[in-house]
Amino acid sequence: MTTSRDDAAAFTWIFDRHRHAVHAYFLGRVADPELARDLLQETFLRAWRRLPEIAPLEAEQQRAWIFTVARNLAIDSYRANAARQAAEAALRHDAATFQTTVAGPHRQAELGERLAQLDAAIRRLPEDQRVILSMATAGELTSRQIGEALGEPAGTVRYRLSQARKQLAAALDLEEPA
Amino acid sequence: MTSQAPNDLDQLLAAWARARRLPEADAERILGAIVPAAPALPASWWFEFNSKVSAVITRATATPAPALAVLR
Repeated sequence: MTTSRDDAAAFTWIFDRHRHAVHAYFLGRVADPELARDLLQETFLRAWRRLPEIAPLEAEQQRAWIFTVARNLAIDSYRANAARQAAEAALRHDAATFQTTVAGPHRQAELGERLAQLDAAIRRLPEDQRVILSMATAGELTSRQIGEALGEPAGTVRYRLSQARKQLAAALDLEEPA
Repeated sequence: MTSQAPNDLDQLLAAWARARRLPEADAERILGAIVPAAPALPASWWFEFNSKVSAVITRATATPAPALAVLR
């Protein structure tokens, strides 16, 4: 495919608009940041190859197209067993790893500890809840947008999000508003 | 300044999301790996550009024919 400046600009716009949501989806699915990045790259590589088809679409239609690719890639990845192995490896990381990576030397130790607890609790969530929570927080998508991306009713998304929050609140000994 | 860690789930989730979001450097690297560099300007571009500019300058500074006729 020959690259024009217009193509590059159109694709960059699509990438910037959807990358956080897609990355959050993969983070929830595979729980491994490195694999999530690889799957993100593969998703957008496919989008690039189909740019003439995608570029004219509305943003929501673009998201639907991209998430169809992302879901298929996640399934393929599972079939190859790579995702499961990576997720298991990621689950074996202890809380200190997250604390060191995220908190850094200048952040409060207490905050790092709480984040490590939260991260561990998120990893223990059922996958469907973890994906939705990740998309809602790191992806900053609404329940309706998550539902459209995953092909599920918004009500189901809200219910699973609520269940996830309750489990996290219990795990961290926090009060969750009713 | 308070040194307490947030004890609110929303605040903790927001901090978790910030920590887990795709870093800008990674996004740039991925974008660069997908999109080949746009082609450079063709070699003839500057020649054609200069020719056009020269033509405009020549036209703009040339003495109009009626003026030349008067001078003669």
